[in-house]
Amino acid sequence: MEFFEARSITKTFGGLTAVNKVDFVIEKGMIASLIGPNGAGKTTFFNTITGIYPVTSGEMHFDGNSLIGKKSFDITALGIARTFQNIRLFANMSAIDNVLVGKHVRLHSTLIGQILHSPATMHEEATARAEALDMLEFVGLRRSDAETYAKNLPYGLQRRLEIARALATNPKLLLLDEPTAGMNPNETVDLTNFIKRLRSELGLTILLIEHHMRVVMTISDRVSVLDHGEKIAEGAPAEVQSNPQVIEAYLGKGKASKHHT
Amino acid sequence: MNKHIKTSISIALAAGFVAFLFGGWAIVVAGGIAGLGLGYYLFGQSKAQKWQDSIKEALLPTLITAVILLALSIFQNYYVAAAIGKKPIPFNTMLQANATGIGGLIFFSFALTLMHILPLRWQRIAQIVLLTFVVISFPFIDKFTGLRWTAQVIFALIFTILALGLNIVVGFAGLLDLGYAAFFAIGAYTTGILSSPQHGIFLNFWLVIWIAAGVAGIFGLILGAPTLPLRGDYLAIVTLGFGEIVPVLFKNLIKVTIQEPFTCWILPLFRIQTSCITFMQDVDLTAGEKGISPIGRPILPIIGEFQSNNPIPWYFLIIAIILLSVFLIQRLRDSRMGRAWMAIREDELAASQMGIDPVRTKLLAFAMGATFSGFAGAFYGAYVRGIFPSVFDFSVSIIVLCMVILGGLGNINGVIVGGMVIMSADRLFLPALKDFLAGLLKATILPALSSNPTLRAAVEQNANPILYRFLLFGLTLVIMMAVRPEGLIPSAQRKAELRSDEEIAADQAAAEAQA
Ligand SMILES: Nc1ncnc2c1ncn2[C@@H]1O[C@H](COP(=O)(O)OP(=O)(O)OP(=O)(O)O)[C@@H](O)[C@H]1O
Ligand SMILES: [Mg+2]
Repeated sequence: MEFFEARSITKTFGGLTAVNKVDFVIEKGMIASLIGPNGAGKTTFFNTITGIYPVTSGEMHFDGNSLIGKKSFDITALGIARTFQNIRLFANMSAIDNVLVGKHVRLHSTLIGQILHSPATMHEEATARAEALDMLEFVGLRRSDAETYAKNLPYGLQRRLEIARALATNPKLLLLDEPTAGMNPNETVDLTNFIKRLRSELGLTILLIEHHMRVVMTISDRVSVLDHGEKIAEGAPAEVQSNPQVIEAYLGKGKASKHHT
Repeated sequence: MNKHIKTSISIALAAGFVAFLFGGWAIVVAGGIAGLGLGYYLFGQSKAQKWQDSIKEALLPTLITAVILLALSIFQNYYVAAAIGKKPIPFNTMLQANATGIGGLIFFSFALTLMHILPLRWQRIAQIVLLTFVVISFPFIDKFTGLRWTAQVIFALIFTILALGLNIVVGFAGLLDLGYAAFFAIGAYTTGILSSPQHGIFLNFWLVIWIAAGVAGIFGLILGAPTLPLRGDYLAIVTLGFGEIVPVLFKNLIKVTIQEPFTCWILPLFRIQTSCITFMQDVDLTAGEKGISPIGRPILPIIGEFQSNNPIPWYFLIIAIILLSVFLIQRLRDSRMGRAWMAIREDELAASQMGIDPVRTKLLAFAMGATFSGFAGAFYGAYVRGIFPSVFDFSVSIIVLCMVILGGLGNINGVIVGGMVIMSADRLFLPALKDFLAGLLKATILPALSSNPTLRAAVEQNANPILYRFLLFGLTLVIMMAVRPEGLIPSAQRKAELRSDEEIAADQAAAEAQA
C-alpha cells in the first residue's frame, strides 16, 4: 500500500463541489506540490486530509490506516501535521508554548502526575522544553524569542514558528499551505532551502500548496494541478509547466492560445 | 510622576470611602489596604536601584494618600457622624485608630516599594512574608477593633474560591459558563445530605468536603458531556439552563422513589406478577424549600467543634482551602493540560489540528472548575449550617462571573482581588451605605416630608442601595469593560490581547533602544 493514498475524494458544500473525485498518491520521502488558481479547492483538499471536513465520498489511507471518519487529533497522532494559509498561531501564548502545544500529543503525563509534579512528569516536561527550544532554533528563531508572544513576532518568524509547532507533533507527512505567502524574494529563497532541509535532515514527506512558481519548480518531485476541484494535470515540474490545459486554467481560454502563438 | 499622583488619589478616595462609611476603627483596615494597594502599584512602577531612591519614590504618593485618608476620617467623625445620627468616637480612640491606620498605610506602602531593590528571589520571599502577616493578623485586628468584619470576609472568601474555579473554565479554557452556581449547589447539597439529621447520616466534615468536591466534579463531567461540543453562544445558553434547573431540582426532590425498572415496570406490562425491588420509597432527599439544617461542623483536636460565634477558626479554614486551591490551580495552569486549555481558548480549530482533543480538554476544564466549587459548597453548608435552594440562583453565577472579569480573566491573583472587592462591596459596603443613607435622610429630608406620608415612605424605602445591588454590579461591569477591559490585575496574556498594536510597537521600539 502507498504511504499516502486518496481515492476519488469529493467534497461538496451545498451545491458547490470544492473537490471533485481527486485521486492523489504520495510516496514516502517525496516533496509533492499542489497548485491551481484561487478557489480551486487546494485548501479544502488539505482540510479533508486533516479531518476538518468529512469527505462527501472517497477513500483515504495513510501509513496503513484509513483516515475516513477519523478526528483531527487522531490524524495528528497518526503522523500528519500542517500549517495554515493564514497563520493560525496561538497568538497570546509564547513561542515556546506554541511548540509545546504541538508536543501535547506525544506527551503522556497524567493529570495526577501534573498536579503532584511526579518525577516522570517533571522529566518529561524538562525534556519537552529542551526539545522545543531546539526546535525553535532549528526553524530559525533565536532562543531569546522563546518567551515572546507569537503575535509579537515578525511575520516571517511567525510562519517559521507555525512550522516548528507542526514539527513538534512529530509528523511523518507535513502539509504546508502556501508557506511563502507574503514573503519577499530573499525570505522565499531561504524558506525553499529550509523545506529541502526538512526532508534531508528529518526525513519528512512533504505536500505543499504554493503560488510561487519558482519555488514549486525548484523543489518539487511532482506537481499536481487542481482547477475547479478537479485534478487536471500531474507530473514532473517541467512537464506540468508546459501542459496547455494548465496554462489555460491559469490564464483563461483566449489568452492560452495567444500565449502559444 | 503625574500618574503616581493620580493613582494615589484614587486609592486614597477608595480607602477614604471605607473609612468614611464605617467611621471609627475602620480606618485601620482602610489604611492597611490602601498601603498594600499603593505599595503594590509603586513596586510595579519602581525604577529605583538604591533604597534612597525607593524612599523618594514612595514619599509623595504615600503623603498624599495619608492626608486624604486622614482628612476624610476626621471629617467623618466630627461632622458627618453627628449628622447621620451616629455617636462620634472619643478623641483618644480616634487618635489611636488614625495613628494605627496611617501607620499601616506608611508601613505597607514603603515596605512594598523598598522590595523592588531586593534581588528577585528575596522579593518573592518578602512578599510572601508580608502577605502571611496581613492574612494572619486580620481576624485579630478585626476582633480587637470590634469591627466584626471577619464573618462577612469569610463569605467573600467562599465566593473567591468559586471565582478561582470559574476562572479555570472561563479564563483558562475560554468557555462562557453562565450556570456555575449549579456546581456550588451540588457541593453544598452533598454536604447537607451526608452530614445532617435529614437522613441521619453524620459523616465527618473533613471527609465530606472531599466527597462534595468529587461529586461536583463528576456532575461537571455529566453536565459537560452533552454541552461542550457546542460552541460559544450555545454553550453559554445551555449552561444558563443547567444553572436554572439544578436549584429547581433540589427544591423538588422531596418525594423520591427509586425502583429497579425491570421488575417494577417492565414485567408488570406483561402482566407478570413479581415482587418489585424498591431502593427508595418517597424519600425526602433535600427537604425542598425548608432546606437542610443543621449541617455538621468541622471538629479539630484543640479547637473542638467550630462555633458560629467565633469566626476565627472558620477564617483560617477557608484560607487553607484557598491556599490549597491556588496551589492546585497554579499547577494545572502550568501543566500540559493548562497549555491545552489556553490553546483551545486561543484557536480551537488550530488546537485540534495540533493533536488536542477539544471535547476532552474542555470537559476536563469544566470538571476541574466544578470540583473547586464543590469545596466552596461544602464549606458554605457547614459554615451557614443550613442550605436552601433559593441561595443558588442565577445571581450567584453572575456575581462569580463578575468577580472573574473584574479581577482579570485568567489571572489567579486578579481573580482573588476581584472576588474580595465585589463580595466586600456586597456584604459590607452596601449594608453600611444603607445605614449611612438612612441616617442621613432621617436627619435631613425625611422630617421635611412628614406632611406627605406617601412620598416619605417611598423615599425611605427606595434609599436602600441593597435593592440596587444588581444594577451596581452591572454598572461596575460596564464601566470596567469601558475603562479597563483587562481587569484590575490582568494576566499577561489578556493584557497582550487587549492592548492596541501601537502600544506593542512602542514597547518593542523601547526594548530595541535598550538593547
Ligand atoms: N467551509 C466552506 N463552506 C462553503 N464553501 C467553502 C468552504 N470552504 C471553501 N469553500 C469554497 O470551496 C472552494 C475552494 O476553496 P479553497 O479554499 O479550497 O480554494 P484554494 O484552492 O485553497 O484557493 P486559494 O488559492 O485562494 O487559497 C471555494 O469556492 C470556496 O469558496
Ligand atoms: Mg487555499
